[in-house]
Amino acid sequence: MLLQLDSIQKRFGGVVALRNGQMSVRPGEVHLLLGENGAGKSTLMKIVAGMHQPDSGAILWKGQRVSFRSPAEAARVGIAMVHQESLLAPHLSVAENIFLGREERLPLGWVSRRRMLEAARRLIADHHFPLQAEWRVGQLSPAGKQLVEICRAIQHGSSLLIFDEPTSSLSETETQEVFRIVRTLKERQMGVIYITHRLEELRAVGDRVTVLRDGETVHTSLLSEVTTHQIIQHMVGRELSGLYQRTPAPAGEILLQLQGLSRKPVLKNISLTVRAGEVVGLAGLIGAGRTELCRAIFGLDPVESGKIFIRGQAVRIASPREAVTQDLALIPEDRQRAGLATALPLGHNITIADLKKISRLGFFLDHDAERRLTEHYVAKLRIRCSSVRQLAGRLSGGNQQKVVIAKWLLRGAKVFLFDEPTRGIDIGAKVEVYEVIDELARAGAAILMVSSELPELLQVADRILVMRQGEITGELTRGTTQEEIMRLATLPQGGATMEGDRE
Amino acid sequence: MIQRLLPFLTLILLFVGLSIASPDNFLTKTNLSSVVRQTAVINLMALGMTLVIISGGIDLSVGSILAMGGLLGTMVMEKGQPIWLGVATGILVGCLCGWLNGFLTTRLKISPFIVTLGTLGIYRGLTLIISNGLPVHQIPPSFSYLGEGNLLGVPFVLWVLVACAVTVHAILEHTRLGRYAFAIGSNPEAAHYTGIPVAFHTTAVYAICGMLTGLGGMIEASRLMTGQPTAGQGYELQAIAAVVIGGGSLRGGEGSVVGTLIGAFIMGLLANGSDLLGISPYLQQAIIGAVIILAVSVDELRKR
Repeated sequence: MLLQLDSIQKRFGGVVALRNGQMSVRPGEVHLLLGENGAGKSTLMKIVAGMHQPDSGAILWKGQRVSFRSPAEAARVGIAMVHQESLLAPHLSVAENIFLGREERLPLGWVSRRRMLEAARRLIADHHFPLQAEWRVGQLSPAGKQLVEICRAIQHGSSLLIFDEPTSSLSETETQEVFRIVRTLKERQMGVIYITHRLEELRAVGDRVTVLRDGETVHTSLLSEVTTHQIIQHMVGRELSGLYQRTPAPAGEILLQLQGLSRKPVLKNISLTVRAGEVVGLAGLIGAGRTELCRAIFGLDPVESGKIFIRGQAVRIASPREAVTQDLALIPEDRQRAGLATALPLGHNITIADLKKISRLGFFLDHDAERRLTEHYVAKLRIRCSSVRQLAGRLSGGNQQKVVIAKWLLRGAKVFLFDEPTRGIDIGAKVEVYEVIDELARAGAAILMVSSELPELLQVADRILVMRQGEITGELTRGTTQEEIMRLATLPQGGATMEGDRE
Repeated sequence: MIQRLLPFLTLILLFVGLSIASPDNFLTKTNLSSVVRQTAVINLMALGMTLVIISGGIDLSVGSILAMGGLLGTMVMEKGQPIWLGVATGILVGCLCGWLNGFLTTRLKISPFIVTLGTLGIYRGLTLIISNGLPVHQIPPSFSYLGEGNLLGVPFVLWVLVACAVTVHAILEHTRLGRYAFAIGSNPEAAHYTGIPVAFHTTAVYAICGMLTGLGGMIEASRLMTGQPTAGQGYELQAIAAVVIGGGSLRGGEGSVVGTLIGAFIMGLLANGSDLLGISPYLQQAIIGAVIILAVSVDELRKR
């Protein structure tokens, strides 16, 4: 046994993060660690990596009882962690990052760049990583950054590598690339722990699975012995009523129409319509231009040519402000960065897009009216919080997303652009977000929804548009398959003739 | 909760401590009035700085703005214009200087630290050029009322300060501008995505800070009865310190009027107390420096 964790307990102030963490990892094993947000996965792994110290319980490393007072101590015995947020130095090169903190030193403290570069090149070539030792890390994609962290771990002779939810920001192909590398790590008899939300995709690489719930290990088994449904039940601790399936609402007038929208090279001649009551899915690989399309519609990026019609009226949208006055709403991919003011009360986040609604005499903000209004939306969207004064940053991912949606509901938005609306959200809460989207559609909103999770699109969308390299390569109706979407998202066939027709 | 009240408790403790340590000199009307007069200018600047810091910015040029406002305001009076016009000029000059800070920050998209570091030099330089380095002395004697006069038994500046504090508090809590300042300071990107006119409101915040500083410049001039082109050097750091001691965060999105006032008065009492107790002014500076670090570290602990 490489690693064994026994009755690990950890509390932060009054909050118990872990009451009974149990887990073991064998050499050459890929062990999936699952659980809802706040179940204690990250805390448990941070304890293994020496970032936190347990209050009680034992860590056995290769049969020896150990305790790590710092990440450096854990690294010394061979434990490395690939973090959710990259901890690399963006201004340094790939090679420099690989050797950061462990530079080969020459006399007088000089660092040999040449030798470092050579070693990094060898390492990259040995593993066929799509990287160059000289590249700046800041310019890499999230997947590229992960590869650099993996290189670090290999270079430092780690025998256990912990991935904290790395697939959440990767495209399909990038994910496959990371999986390929995980398999090679496995062949080298390294142990791998993978914290994830995307269980289905990880069946391909995982050997065993451990499920945490409320700080406690509730399940460990071979992956082949459990169904996804069973695992989800362990995670949420209750019976889930099957898979979510939205029943489409009758579509009304066309609310959003795009005609030949272009912003080369990311958007080429995009035309689409979204009707009131309709949820249109936007599928494609990362970099296909889906986020760029949302940004362009919302006035965040300039458009070179093409027209946008809202309720049949041609409009010019040059800034988010103009988009908002046209009743558009963007629910961005990265809530923390672009969706919420996490340090402010959730109530203030809800009213911020339409303070007129709580103003008296045109300028004086009425706090009582604000509280009543926000409490109404909190109840309507079933946002779980202690009060509307709770800081938005303290909410769970699903509730944060609902706050962003509530903000636009209050503003009276009619056209919603959802960019990866359930990224990083618990399985149970995802369904609640789908329900909110459904309610929006039923209330007559037009919804364009970008998602990289194909099952989600199939469950929620009425139609699915597929994008590839800045173009819409096809339109699929409800009831299509993941394979069909992937075919349109990846293959150039079919798309070529469409291109020919347009030009 | 106790930690949130800590600045207030510190202020009370200082007050009580000084009352005991120096009963004959501290708790006198003359002394307390002089504390109010001495801190009024920093207090006004700190009120404006509170807005700026909440919106995620910083203004290092307020010391220079103070001098320019005070100088041009007194020059207007020197030319024989009425006092009210002089004061209005000082405020207007401050407003324009602040507006320019906001304009440069938002249009050139340069960090406010750099912009106001630049304008700190520019405004000071302009002030010295306009005045030729010489102070303005020809001021109507009644102008001294602004800084030194009493109304209903308390210093007139206290009324001015209270009025400004109430106004800034109302702006922060009850107007769109205040709410937007918090939103922009907490997450400028999200504010932009929400359709908030970020540049306009950021500029407005700097302009208000400039106005309050311009008013501070006139009070300073009134107390000295000169328009000093070298006035206000180093004041920016005291104003920032007051905000920070009062719980403002240089990361933006946090701060309050009450906190800032407490912060400014803590520094005022420390200075006054040191004088009364015969502590060297050199040590005073070190004490105030230590208080700043202490206040911020307590605040950080609270947030964990």
